[in-house]
Amino acid sequence: MITVLFFGPVAERLGQSRLEVAHQAGMRLQDVRDQLQARYPEAFSLVSLAAVNGQHERDFAVALADHSEVVFMSKFSGG
Amino acid sequence: MPDAVRIQLEDFSQDEEIRALQATSKRMGGIATFLGCARDFSEGRAVSEISFDAYERMALPEMQTLRSEAIARFALLDARIVHRLGVVRAGDSIVFIAAGAEHRAPALEACRWLIDELKERVPIWKKETTPEGESWVTPHP
Repeated sequence: MITVLFFGPVAERLGQSRLEVAHQAGMRLQDVRDQLQARYPEAFSLVSLAAVNGQHERDFAVALADHSEVVFMSKFSGG
Repeated sequence: MPDAVRIQLEDFSQDEEIRALQATSKRMGGIATFLGCARDFSEGRAVSEISFDAYERMALPEMQTLRSEAIARFALLDARIVHRLGVVRAGDSIVFIAAGAEHRAPALEACRWLIDELKERVPIWKKETTPEGESWVTPHP
């Protein structure tokens, strides 16, 4: 399983802050994004950044290990 | 003394943070600080409070990295960063940055760099409560 977390505006538009996606061999970050974007297009219209296991990930072709934690995020507005 | 980099619900004391910074070196000739506050007016609307959400697993390490980068980049003697989460009322403090160096120029430059980088790199989001309802803040310079 891949755990997918959402925060702030993305979580609000999605109506949840966490969901799980079944892991498949060779699965890439882009695959998870494509899958969820098709189900939640409004929430994903806000997404511009991603993190894998607590690290900002710019390469959406990166392979995901089983039990990875993925976050799809909108631009930050702290400070 | 609390950690130099923190995310916390409660308010902080600027005096305590500066004292902690100063205590790290007697070679410090300049300390620059930045205090970010909750405004009561934004985008033409009154704002009564701001709530924060954060991906803490990434936010705290990123803030620690920022501190280390600033120390190396500006030859600081030390730096501290504190950011609040939860609900903050208009007029309250949100974020505090203090940078200490041998001279004022690197301290001032580091302080500006730290808050600019924090806004770009640290996964924290804020939502304003106004009479018209709540809305997430869109990043701006």
